[in-house]
Amino acid sequence: MTVRAGADLSVALGRLHLPLPTIMGSGCYGSGEEYASFIDLENIGAVVLKSVTRMPRLGNPTPRLVQTPSGLLNAIGLQNPGVEWYLEHEVGKFSERPCAIIGSVAGFSVDDYAYVTQRLAARDEIDAIEINISCPNVASDGETFACDPKLTSRVVTLVRDLTDKTLIVKLSPNVTDIAGIAREAEAAGADALAVINTVRGMAIDVDVWQPRLGNRTGGLSGPAIRPIAVLAVYEVACAVKIPIIGQGGIETTTDALEFFLAGASAISIGTANFTDPRVPLQIAHGLERYLLGRKLNALRDIVGKANHGFSGPHQYEGDQG
Amino acid sequence: MPPDQSQASVHRAAITDRTELAKGVILLGIHAPELVRVTKPGHFLLAIPPSGERCATALGIYEAQAERASILFFVCGSRTRELADLAVSEYLEVAGPLGNGFDLSGQPKNVAIVAGGVGIASVLLPAQRVAEYGGRVQLYYGARTQALLVDAEKFERYGCVLNLATDDGSSGFDGYVTELLAQTEEVPDLILACGPTPMLHAAAKVASRMRVRAQLSLEETFACGVGACWGCVVPISRASAQAPRFPMLSTDGSRSDSVYARVCKEGPVFWADELRW
Repeated sequence: MTVRAGADLSVALGRLHLPLPTIMGSGCYGSGEEYASFIDLENIGAVVLKSVTRMPRLGNPTPRLVQTPSGLLNAIGLQNPGVEWYLEHEVGKFSERPCAIIGSVAGFSVDDYAYVTQRLAARDEIDAIEINISCPNVASDGETFACDPKLTSRVVTLVRDLTDKTLIVKLSPNVTDIAGIAREAEAAGADALAVINTVRGMAIDVDVWQPRLGNRTGGLSGPAIRPIAVLAVYEVACAVKIPIIGQGGIETTTDALEFFLAGASAISIGTANFTDPRVPLQIAHGLERYLLGRKLNALRDIVGKANHGFSGPHQYEGDQG
Repeated sequence: MPPDQSQASVHRAAITDRTELAKGVILLGIHAPELVRVTKPGHFLLAIPPSGERCATALGIYEAQAERASILFFVCGSRTRELADLAVSEYLEVAGPLGNGFDLSGQPKNVAIVAGGVGIASVLLPAQRVAEYGGRVQLYYGARTQALLVDAEKFERYGCVLNLATDDGSSGFDGYVTELLAQTEEVPDLILACGPTPMLHAAAKVASRMRVRAQLSLEETFACGVGACWGCVVPISRASAQAPRFPMLSTDGSRSDSVYARVCKEGPVFWADELRW
């Protein structure tokens, strides 16, 4: 079952052209191979790899997961083998992937981001770079970068100089003014924005009077945060011209459409893969049916149509903005 | 060997039979010949919910023979309730088989299998396998009460010797099944265990005292169930992590003497002496 026929679902994120707008969220899809036996990766737009850091990381103490109503609370803590191990053992495999591969960079200092970006971007197997400045689950305030417009600007400016590949900046919803942060990222040279990362949360075990997560706090994903994410995309879409990858609780075609209509040019699917690995395929088919049913040729024709303040994106040639 | 997941796929399986073995304990047979073909003892599957809003449910594969696989579960929440409400000839979608199962490659002659409660659901296949190569199984099976000691006859059919225990003394030994195991004078070559975490801890202790190696099938909250999210981890010793089956754990930045392995991918079966929990 392949998706490509009929309506044009393609999207351009900077230099990166994707035939499909469905991107698998970082930390939810491993390196793609974990899902390759359940879904033909040719039928997804891209995989954002699990975030890597300069040094290896043990990750957070357990438990790392709590299921909450329509949501999943996690605190993994960026467990990863470090960028050098990753380059040596993992990245080579990505040349065989039938979809685009987006590396995800996490860090604890501006230098960390620069170092890991440079190392990853140097590899041909990596098509684009996502800067994760918004992980809520690391002890030294991983979200500091995404919560501070000046720091956001510094990090993005620095990594922009290091690569010509598409640079995506992943924003946090846990801020007062997400549009302001988005503007900084755009001005500093980001090609696209991923909106949003998880929403901070906590669950408490009332028998033992302790938070349920080993890390105490976590990041909430799943349908529970979808309205928060839709609003964030709506607000960011009013503020910037660069394309937005909408994400947060997308499970169905209708969910995805909300994001496109709010102003997203692509979407990212994370937690829904844990329900059914075929969700990305179902959504791509559903989008196509929706467009054909309305006699529309291209998905880009509906981007931002529910957003009265929308003025972008400028990623399409001939787009009047 | 690193776990091989390439034979897993999504199966749309018709329910072939449904038996309520005890109040709230359901045995569900499914028609899934492709799944059966590649299932090994200790594998699990993910039951895909008919609607979204929650993660798929991980369940041990109880039986796998010819065209029929089965799952055995206790009804304990909305998802298991939904599964329990499925009727014969309705469909269930499952992804699997998944995980790293029991290692019986050395064909140990005398195997003790310890099962607590719903843990019984993961130990019929290894019992069957041991019988196939001519080994002998002592089954130590414990539950809260007699009514919850389900399907023990099936194990007898594979020649297992039954050693039953109940917390309330209503059947067999009055106490924990691991206390019963500790009393045995016949020291097995290998111990396999599946059940609640405290029972697994106790089984590991008894095994260590007997100087017998044990494989434990762990239960953890899963999100993805396929090794993608690193949510279901358990600490293992740094030394164990150097083994080829833990390819991504050979390095980490801390001085901690343990590292985190994924229960869904490197497990759910671990050697007791690998674990640092």
